Amino acid sequence: MSKPILSLKNVSMHFGGIKAINDISFDVEQGCIFGIIGPNGAGKTTLFNVITGVYIPTAGEILFGEKQLNKLAPHVITGGGIARTFQNIRLFDDQTVLDNLKIAHYSHIQYGLLDAMLTTRRFREEEARLEEESLEILRFLNLEHMANQKAGSLSYGVQRRVEIARALCCKPKVILLDEPAAGMNPAEIDDLNKLIIGIRDHYQLTILVVEHQMRLVMGICERILVVNFGEKLAIGKPDEVKADPAVLEAYLGKAN
Amino acid sequence: MNKNNQSLFNKSAAWKFASAAAAVVLLIMLKELGILSTSTLLIFQYIGIYAIVVLGINMVNGYLGVFSLAHAGFMAVGAYTAAVCTKFFFSVEWMFPVAIVAGGLVAMLLGILVAIPSFKTRGDYLAIITLGFTLIVQSVLQNMEFVGASKGLNNIPRHTNIYWVMGCLLFAIFVVSRFIHSKYGRSLKAIRQDQVASMLVSVDVRLNKSIAFALSAFLIGIAGALIGHLLGYTSPSAYGFTNIVDGLVMVYLGGMGSITGSIFGAAVWQVLVQLLKGLGTWRWVVGGGLLCIIMVFRPKGLFGYIELSDLLKKIQAKMKSGKLKKGGNKDE
Repeated sequence: MSKPILSLKNVSMHFGGIKAINDISFDVEQGCIFGIIGPNGAGKTTLFNVITGVYIPTAGEILFGEKQLNKLAPHVITGGGIARTFQNIRLFDDQTVLDNLKIAHYSHIQYGLLDAMLTTRRFREEEARLEEESLEILRFLNLEHMANQKAGSLSYGVQRRVEIARALCCKPKVILLDEPAAGMNPAEIDDLNKLIIGIRDHYQLTILVVEHQMRLVMGICERILVVNFGEKLAIGKPDEVKADPAVLEAYLGKAN
Repeated sequence: MNKNNQSLFNKSAAWKFASAAAAVVLLIMLKELGILSTSTLLIFQYIGIYAIVVLGINMVNGYLGVFSLAHAGFMAVGAYTAAVCTKFFFSVEWMFPVAIVAGGLVAMLLGILVAIPSFKTRGDYLAIITLGFTLIVQSVLQNMEFVGASKGLNNIPRHTNIYWVMGCLLFAIFVVSRFIHSKYGRSLKAIRQDQVASMLVSVDVRLNKSIAFALSAFLIGIAGALIGHLLGYTSPSAYGFTNIVDGLVMVYLGGMGSITGSIFGAAVWQVLVQLLKGLGTWRWVVGGGLLCIIMVFRPKGLFGYIELSDLLKKIQAKMKSGKLKKGGNKDE
C-alpha cells in the first residue's frame, strides 16, 4: 500500500456532550475516490468540517501527507491543497461565475498591495494568468458560456458544477465533495460520475465524497467508509461494505 | 475575445479615473478664473473632504459589509494628530503633507486595532464595539490637557485649500479603485457574502479585514487632517453622534460599495446641508425624511454596488438590444 495522502488518526469532535465524531481513523490513498456514507446526522459533514479546519477536533490527529492539519486555519488548509464544496451550495450569488472562480485563486496569487496600487507588470500578468486558468477550468467543465452570468441566477445543477470549478481554482491535491448529487436524477448522476472521474484524472486529484445517492457511491468510489452516530461502522471496497452485516443493520434495521 | 474584454475593462477603469481628474481640473480652472465665489469654493472643499470620508466608510461598511461606527473616531484622531504636528512641531506650509500623512497613519494604526474584534464579532455587536471606540476617542480627547481638553485646539494654521482637498480626493479615488479591482477587493466582496465560504476557498479573512479597516481609517484620518486645517480649530464635540450619523447618511444616500455613490452622497448631502441652513433645526427633519424615503425605495442607496460606468454600459446595451439579438444564452 502506498503512502496515504490524507489520514485521520483517532479523531473525535465533541460538542459538549454530543459526540458528533467519535474516535474515527482511516487513510485515503493518493488518486483514490473515497466515499463516505451514513444515515442523516451520522457526522459526515462534521468530518469534512474537521478536515478543512472549520472545527478543531477535540482529540486525534489529521495528517495531510506529512503535515499535521489539526490547528491550522481553514484558509491555510485550503491554500495548502484541500478544497471542498458544500452540501448547501455556498457560491457568492451576486457575483459572476468568473469572479467566483477568481476569488478562489487567492492563495497562489503572487502580488502584494503595492503591486495592486501601482498596477505593476506582475499584477497585470497575475490577473491575466488567473483569468486564463479560471476559463480553462470552466472550459473543462463545459461551463465557459456561463462565465459572465451571476452565480445566483443559475440552475441548481449548474451551481453544483460551478462549486466544483471554484474548488478546483484553489489548486487542490485533495477535493472534498459534500453531497454533489443531492437532488439529481439518475441521468444527471451518471454525468456527474463521469465528471468526477474526469477531474480526478485530469487534475490528478484525490477525491473524498459524502453522498447518499448509491448510484454515485457504488458507481465510482474505490473505497467506502460507513459512519453511524459518529462512529466508524465499516470501511472497505463497495462490495465488502454492501455485504457488511453492521451496515445492513444501520440502514435496514436488525433482521429477526 | 476575452483578452479583449480584459483590456477594455482596464481602459474603462483608467477612463473613469481620467474623467474624475478632468472634473477636478475644470473645477480648479473655474476657481482660477474667479468664477467661483469663496463660499461656493468652501462647499466644494467640504464635498471633497467628506467624499474622502465616505470612500473610507464605504471600504468597511460597503465593500466589506461590516456595520462599523468607528469613522468619527478615526476622523478625530486624524484631525488631532495633524493639528498637533502643524501647531507644535512644524507650521511651515510645505510640511503640511507630512501632517496629513501623519494623521492618516495614526488613524490607520487604530484602524488595525479596531479590526481585531471584527474577526469574531458580527452585526449589531460589532456596531456597539466600534461605537465604543468612537466614544473612547472622544472622551480621551476631552481629558487630554495637552490638546486643549474639551475646548479643543484653536489657531490651527489654515493650510487646507481646494488643491490639497482635490489632490487627496483623487488619491483616495485612485487607491480605492485599484484596491477594489485586485484580489483584496474581490476578497472583501466574498467575505461580505459568506465569510465561511471565503475561508474555505483560501481567502485569509483576518488579513483582508485588517487591510480594509486600515485603509478605511487611513483615508478617514486624511480627511480629518484636512478638515482641521480648513476650519482652523478642532474640538472633541465635533466627533460624536452627529459626525457618526452624518457619515452614515452620506454612505447610505450615495450607495454602498460604490465610488460614484460615495462622491455623489457626499455632494448631495453637503449641498443639502447648505441649502437647508435657512430652515434652522428643521433641516434635520427634511434631511432625515429624505433618508427615510431613500431607504424605503432604494435600500442600498442611490448607487448601491454600481458605478456610473456600469450604468452607462447598461444604457448602451439597452440602446443596442433595441436593434440586435436578445436571449442568445442557453442555460444548461
